[in-house]
Amino acid sequence: MIPRGTGGIRSARFAVSTGMRRLGLPLGRLSDEALLAGLATGAPEVALAFVRRFQRMVFGIAVAVVDDPQLAEDIAQQTFERAWRHAQVYDSRRGSVKTWLATIAHNLAIDAVRARNATPVSPEDLDALLGVVTRTPEQWALADDAASRIRAAVAGLPPQQARAVVMAGIYGMTARQISEFEGIPLGTAKTRIRTAMGKLRTVLGPERADHD
Amino acid sequence: MTDRDCERLRAVADELALGILPGQERAEAIAHLDRCPACREHVEQLTLVADGLLSLLPDSEPPAGFETRVTDGLRLNRPARRRRPRAGVAVAAATAIALGFGFGGWAVGTAIEGTSAPSSPRSEPSGSEHELLEASLLTVDHRPVGRIFAYTGSPGWVYMSVDLGPGWSGSDSRPADESGSEDETAGSREAYPEAGEISCRLERTDGTSVHIGEFPLDDAGRGHWGAPTRVAPDTVSGARLLAADGSVLATAHFAAQQNR
Repeated sequence: MIPRGTGGIRSARFAVSTGMRRLGLPLGRLSDEALLAGLATGAPEVALAFVRRFQRMVFGIAVAVVDDPQLAEDIAQQTFERAWRHAQVYDSRRGSVKTWLATIAHNLAIDAVRARNATPVSPEDLDALLGVVTRTPEQWALADDAASRIRAAVAGLPPQQARAVVMAGIYGMTARQISEFEGIPLGTAKTRIRTAMGKLRTVLGPERADHD
Repeated sequence: MTDRDCERLRAVADELALGILPGQERAEAIAHLDRCPACREHVEQLTLVADGLLSLLPDSEPPAGFETRVTDGLRLNRPARRRRPRAGVAVAAATAIALGFGFGGWAVGTAIEGTSAPSSPRSEPSGSEHELLEASLLTVDHRPVGRIFAYTGSPGWVYMSVDLGPGWSGSDSRPADESGSEDETAGSREAYPEAGEISCRLERTDGTSVHIGEFPLDDAGRGHWGAPTRVAPDTVSGARLLAADGSVLATAHFAAQQNR
């Protein structure tokens, strides 16, 4: 039922992009899912709006993990390319677009770190990151969303558990790497991760973290 | 599956959710999740925690020119190239929707189906603005199985992604009300699709619906489809997906127009 031809693709992009612009469709006000659907069509304006909306989050994740702006930019760029390629298979039931994109960026960053060196983080970087993820400025402390609750919960963990869960959850360090980094038995590292995750899980309750 | 299997899974569930479980253990854990819904739910909850940890990382402004480099990298400003996503269905869907957009004004037949009138027509200015409507596709028992987007401008279009799961072919659907149904589509359209395909109808506020096309789902019940069609913002109320036997697989309601 759908005519085929490469001319159709070009005119399709023109129709979507110029149509949205000419008719005043406010791209910046579209939902994340609608923008992702538009990204799948390959319309440049929609792609640009999608990148503008998420580039700071994506780059923030990448640079926090790899601690190298140039490498982080490469990772962020790969993240958007992967999102574009796989926009069609995004499943909203498994999480928000934001969470999906964050996971892509994080996985790429972890892969880059693992390929680069054996120790993903220095003690100084870990302490700095712990300070960042547990920092609770007034505007964050007042917000009762999932991120704020997790932030407060991480801040409330015993330091060794907070370190373990950040090393695992942010830097992608295995329990064995954590045990070596901290100089503790493997079992102790696993216990710290499990105990911390259990405490964090209780603050989320039954609702989804990304649907708050 | 035994309690011992579940105990073993629970012992590594946190590491699995965090993505740090080494290869062999990870493979064994995933194999267990495939056959244990309770453990799967447990890991899903822990995955939300892992997602939440990422949300604690601060945003950071990328270097100047980043967005241009990204869009240049996607080659969106160049003549179309053949994209090769991993999933074949993604290729088909992307091609279908992209090609479809190029033929604005594609005439949709007016397959009028007498159905029970929906609750309340929306009162909106007609033709004054164009926007993208979106809604969840829900089964009759309100299980979300996808999303549908409808653009009310010109050329208008509809796009949807569907994941009905394996064994979707009408087992949990209900028969559609066919009383007085009449297909006035310009000649070629059947009222219902072939086996293995599903059809889509746009529903109007006056209780009528218009058949806009069919598309296949894969063995896992997944599919993506788009088509150019006129979407009148003041009369469209939702959409319905029908199985080959005419039973309703899912419905969607455009309850709110987000861009007003």
